Parts: sequence; C-alpha cells; structure tokens
Amino acid sequence: MISFRYRERRTPIHRLNPLCKLLWCASILVLALILDHPLFLLLLFLSTLPLVFAAGVIKEWASFIRLTLYLCIAIIIINALLSYSGAHVLYQAPFRVPVLGIPTITLEAVVFGVAMCLRLLSIISAFAIITLTVHPDDIMLAMIKLKLPYKSVLVTSLSTRFMPTLVDDAERITDVQRSRGLELNRGSLFKRMKNRIHIIMPLLSNSLDRTVQVAEAMESRAFGSGSNRTYYRDIKLNTIDVISLVLAFSPLAFGIFVSVSGYAAYRYYPALGALNLGIDTWSAMAVLTLLSASLVPLAFLKRRLELD
Amino acid sequence: MIRIRGLTFYYSDAVQPALRDIDLDIAGGEFVLITGPSGGGKTSLCRCLNGLIPHFYGGRISGEVEVDDIKVLERPTKEMATRVGMVFQDPENQLVAMDVEREIAFGLENLAFPRPIIARRLEESLDTLGIAHLRHRQVHELSGGEKQKVAIASVLALHPDVLVLDEPTSELDPHSAEEVLSVIQRLNDELGLTVVLLEHRLDRVVHLIDRMIVMDGGRIVADGDPRRVLDDETVADIGVGAPPIARLVQRLKQRGNSIAAIPLTVKEGRSMLNDAFRQARCGEANPKTPAKATDGAPIIKVEHLWHAYPQGPSTLKGVDLEIRRGEFVSVMGRNASGKTTLVKHLNGLLKPTKGKVTVGEDDTRKATVAQLSRRVGMVFQNPNDHIFADTVEDEIAFILKNLGFGRGEIADRVDQMLEIFGLGEYRKRYPRLLSGGQRQRVALASVLVARPEVLILDEPTRGMEYRLKSELMGFIERYRGEGNTVVLVTHDVEIVAEYADRVVLLSEGRVVIDGNKHDALSQALLFSPQINRLVQAFARDGVPGNILTVDEALEALG
Repeated sequence: MISFRYRERRTPIHRLNPLCKLLWCASILVLALILDHPLFLLLLFLSTLPLVFAAGVIKEWASFIRLTLYLCIAIIIINALLSYSGAHVLYQAPFRVPVLGIPTITLEAVVFGVAMCLRLLSIISAFAIITLTVHPDDIMLAMIKLKLPYKSVLVTSLSTRFMPTLVDDAERITDVQRSRGLELNRGSLFKRMKNRIHIIMPLLSNSLDRTVQVAEAMESRAFGSGSNRTYYRDIKLNTIDVISLVLAFSPLAFGIFVSVSGYAAYRYYPALGALNLGIDTWSAMAVLTLLSASLVPLAFLKRRLELD
Repeated sequence: MIRIRGLTFYYSDAVQPALRDIDLDIAGGEFVLITGPSGGGKTSLCRCLNGLIPHFYGGRISGEVEVDDIKVLERPTKEMATRVGMVFQDPENQLVAMDVEREIAFGLENLAFPRPIIARRLEESLDTLGIAHLRHRQVHELSGGEKQKVAIASVLALHPDVLVLDEPTSELDPHSAEEVLSVIQRLNDELGLTVVLLEHRLDRVVHLIDRMIVMDGGRIVADGDPRRVLDDETVADIGVGAPPIARLVQRLKQRGNSIAAIPLTVKEGRSMLNDAFRQARCGEANPKTPAKATDGAPIIKVEHLWHAYPQGPSTLKGVDLEIRRGEFVSVMGRNASGKTTLVKHLNGLLKPTKGKVTVGEDDTRKATVAQLSRRVGMVFQNPNDHIFADTVEDEIAFILKNLGFGRGEIADRVDQMLEIFGLGEYRKRYPRLLSGGQRQRVALASVLVARPEVLILDEPTRGMEYRLKSELMGFIERYRGEGNTVVLVTHDVEIVAEYADRVVLLSEGRVVIDGNKHDALSQALLFSPQINRLVQAFARDGVPGNILTVDEALEALG
C-alpha cells in the first residue's frame, strides 16, 4: 500500500521552510475559491505539479489525486443531473421525476461540474504536497508561530501521531473478527456496512482506552504546567526564507488583483460565456502560473546557498 | 525518599477500596519490586506516587504520601514530574511526538526549560539509554523495546529522583524485555536512582532487586528480602509466579530436604542443589520418553509454503509442516521470524503466495475464512480486540450467528460455554467492564463455542500474571482433552515446557527445529527453561539432561 504519510527525504522541497509551504498552500486554497475562469483553474492545478516532481512524491501524490477523481466523477454526474439551468440541452429524459421534474442534462451544468472539480483538484493537490513534504511536527511548530493556541495544535499533531497505530489496530481487529466468521465482502451493501460495526466498535473502544492512557502519560510528564512552554526545535527564517515567504504569498496577491480586475471572471449560466482570451488574460494567466510555481527554483537556489 | 502512611483509596464509583491502609517507606537508591495478582492494588499504589491519584483519577483518598518531603496529595501531578518519573505498560500509549528527539524534549518543553538545557539533557538521556542511533527515527517505526527505551529516556530527561515503572516489559518479547530490564538495573546501580518496578515475570528480575513487596486485595501482604518473601507460604498461595527454581526448592523443602535458602538464579540453584542431585542417584541417564506419542491422523498440512506481503520480502520461505489430530504444537521463534504469518495461513486469513495449506480436506486457497472457522478457531493476544457486543452472551453467540446456526442450538451452546468458563453470573454484563482474566475467558469462549477441531492461540499469555496464565492453560488442556488440536504461538518457554508436546522453531521464515519438546528445549543456552539450565550441570551425575519442569525434576530426584 502506498503510504499517505510524511516520509523523511532530503529534496529541496522537503527542506524548504515549512511556514513558506503552508503560506503557499493557503494561497492556492484562496485562489481556487476566488477564481472562476476554468482555464485559470486548470492552470492553477497544473502549477502545483512542478513541486510534486521536484519533491519526488509522484506516486503518493497520485494516490491522493486518484481518490479525488472518484469524487470528481460523482460531482460532475450529480451536478449534471440536478442542475437544469443551462440553455444548451444535451439530453432530456422521456419521463418525469416527482419534485425534480424532467431530468435534463445541459452543457453548462457539465462544464460547471468540471470547473468545480478543477477547484477541488487544485486544493487537494496543494494539501497533498503539504502532507507529503512537511514533517507533522513542523506543521505544528508553524501553527504555533502563527499564534494558534498550543492545545488545539497539539490535538492535531497527536491525531497524526496515532494514525499508524489506528491502522494497525484496525488490521488486527479485522483479522480477529474474520476468524470469528464475519464476512465483510458478502451480502447486500447494507449488510456489509452493518458488518463493519463489529470492527468499528472495538476500534473505538480501544481508542478511548488509549486516550486515557495517553493523557495520563502526558500529565506525568508535566503537560500543562504553564502557558510559557518552550520549544526545542524552532523554525528560523533566513533571508532566503523571507524571500520565499514573499514569493509564496505573491500568487495570492496577484490573483486577488486579477480577480478584482475581472480577468478571471467567467459566466457559466444560463449560457457559457466566451472564453475571452485577450492578450491581457493570457499574460495574467502566465504570470499567475509562474508565481505559484516559483517556489521550485527558489528551493533549489536555497539548497545551493546553504550547502556553500 | 518515599513515605506513605495510612493510605486508603476508592476509585470514584467503587464500593471496595483499591488500597487499604498502606504504610510504606522506601529509602533512596533502593530497587523495589512490587508484584501480586492483578486487581491487587499495585498500579493504584504507583499512581499515588506522582499524584495521578487523586488529581487525574478522582476518587476518595485518605492518608499521607510524601516523596522527597513533598506532600504529593496536595500538589498537581505536573509538579511531581521532576521528582517521580512514570513509565507505563504499553509503550505505544505514552509517546506523543513524531520523532525520538522531540519525544524526549516534550517534558522539558512543558516545564519551559531554555533550549540549551534541553539540548544537553537530550544528549544525556540518549547516551544513558544507549539509543543515540535512534534520535532521528520516527516513533511509529520503532520496535516495542525501542519505544519503551525512548519512554524511559523521555522521563529520565526530567532528572527524577524516583523511577516508577508499571509493568514496562509486559508488551515486549523476552529479548527486548531483558534489554529494558538491564537498562533499568544499570540506572539503579550506576546512577543510584530509586526504582519502583511492577512486574510479573519474577525469574527475570528477582536477582536484581533489593526488596520485594507483594500486594493483594489492596494491602501489602509481604515485604522484604526476595529470598524471604519467596519462602513465605502465604505468598505462594496468592499465586505469585515464583521462578521455577524457587518453586522447585519450595517443593523440596516441603518434602523435608534441608536447603538453606531460596535460590534466585541458575548459578545459585546449582550450588545449593548440588548435594540433592548428587545423592539422588538417578541411575543411568535414561532420556525421558516423549510425552504421549501422537499417532492421530494429520489435520493440517502445510506443504512448501512461501509467503510474501505485497511489496515486501518473503516472510515464509518453504515451510513444510504436518499437524496431527490431538497434538499440542508450540510455534516459537524470534520477532519477525514468521510465526504469526504462518498461523494466519492455518485459518485462511492469509493465502499462500506459493505452496499449499490443507485443513482436513479443505485447501485454504479455496475456502473462506468463515468456512474454515468451523474447524479452526483463533484466539488473539488482546481480548479487547475480540470484544464489541453489549453482553457476554451476544459476544459468545456472534460466531454461531455468522455461521447460520439455529436459535435453539445457539442458546444451548452459549449456556454450555457460560457454564464451562464460569461466566454464568456475567451473561448480561457489558464484557468490556469485566476484569482482564474474565475478558480473556470471554474471548476464548467466543471462539470455542463453534467447537473447532483446531485452536490457534497467538501469544495468549503475554503480559499475563501467573495465576491467570495457569487458569487459561487449564481451559486449553481441557479443550485438548476432548481430542482436539492446539497450536500455540508463544515466547514463553516455561509454558511450552509445561504443556506442549512438540516445538516448531522458526527462524527467518524457515523451520529450523521441529520435534519433541524434550529434545527441542533441552541443552540449549538461554532458550531452555530455567529448570533445564539448572540440571544441565548434573548431567554427569546421571540426571537426565532433558528435564524441563519442576515436576519432572522432582520425579527425577525420587
């Protein structure tokens, strides 16, 4: 099984300052939400690819994307079936469904669904890069740097810490219950779901027991002694990091400008708008893509400078 | 160092006190072992030492607990962290960070130590435990023993005066357990750290300690030099699992032999029992005849079995094995030698990558796990993994419902199981709230109710106290007495010596020894049971070299 977890690697992307990767990810997230134009969204997605290649996490990233694609197919189908607002009808059913009316698939609804998926894919891709290239403890440190409350941050980090344990638990319990004649892959869908209960119940109970024990161990090691906790590791910012922070933020700044000036606006309903590919739009797209992919050359530069 | 007076404690919803009127003084630098049956109050006492009781657990408490002249009951646990270091049973549940360095720094960070001091203490702790090579490793990749060492290091970094360890080795295999215990001994010997250790496996620790305390029913029932405590008959009655050598000497004393003291190690035992064995004149060395020759028909056949997990190396490399009806086979071997992988093939949980496994006349490749579960039952180490139902009754009936039995048949069989396992009064109870021993019985009943012909147990006695172990093995003996077959995966040589007929030793996925337990377990070095290591010295005097248990030794002594 390909792991969804962080693994220690020495690529320039892994060594990039975690704050900077987080800020970059936040930029992609906001951009994916404010940009409407399907071409912009496509480019946004594509601009995350150089990081994936540079970090050497293609296989793991692909498994994130594969899961997302299933969701995408569902989104496109559901949107096409339920949204009748488009003007270009591709297919109309010969019957009526109560409440919904006559099922109609329109070109607009399909295109809109596709654009939604591009949005989703960009966001997932950015998050996958964070998950695969930032040490979970560094995410925690970065969040503390950003003045999030320590306790909430710790809970997040604990849940990552115990993920592998939970997976092991689940595998063990599955073996136990199968040995007791439980058949997980037989019967109706409902029956299969119901059978999972026999795995989920011990899993939950075990995890609850575990929480008490973890709390006890933390308490015994002076957890919660006071608000002025120190941190052994620290995220230090050197000049290159400051530059990368600015660069990580730049696609967002530029994206907001593009969005406000209306280059990335697009109308889906009632009829698809023209793509409006003037020279301004082309250059806006080019700049945006360059900016969001700019972390890659910077990461290599950083490595050069730090090795010297 | 530690002073306890009149300590009585009730958990918040309990009628019976967990601790009754405890008085205890522990001096600085002592190595104290606390043992006794589970539910006897050992863990509760430990929790009082750093204030987890009453601050974390609540409940009603009276009396005094002082550590370093600090009244523990009035101070929060986190203030006690620099005085009392606590290490818990399950290494998995006490590590909170992703990597080793951060784990060790965690306590120091909480106490707001400046970075240079954290860095220094980190180095110290890593070196003291000898785990500097693990410093950049991820916690979840470590083995159980390594995790437990990291847990000790992370507590040690706070420079406590007392180290309290609550069954630190019960989740570990013997080799890692040995390593962890020797680390603890070194901390006591070389740093003069006061150590309070809870442990069931007395044969591994009893020679290291200064003082042994036995608790039962919330009280301290024996306290003092381990030789004296082990000699005490009331202690033996409670069911403290004295090391086999100590049991042998106890029995000899009952028979009227005069032996000065209880030996704690094989070395001591050899010199103390020298006369007894020499006088015994066992005659010519007649190797014991194999216990019960098994001539039953083969029930499980493993033919040239290879197995590899996806994207992994082979874990089994050509295993051939035939298990006959009525046999008690014990599968042994180091961690990752393929033991569990092998037995998971016997009930179809795993399918052969190459080769063939047949149960009766069924090829496991063609049968489902559910179909095989009628013939082959499997009990896993942790009963908590078995238990999910609302009542003991439902739990036991589960397998029968899955196999499509009729209602009347189910009711009959469940009643029968409740009766055999003494669970009748608990039939409507929520199984998770039962004691450890009762839960183990529920787990066993929930498998045996299907009346399988083969029972596979994967380390069922790991971390179990002596009394529960013998109880469990009693049930298994009984099941086998009905003509059934038992396959036991275990690290516990003493259990194997006592109960099994045949030993299959795996190493790196291959069978390296397969034979009668008397041949397999005797004349080995550390791998032999304690009694066998004792008698090896007397082989020249005609004592059979393949004696494994206390009873066999007594018999040889005439």
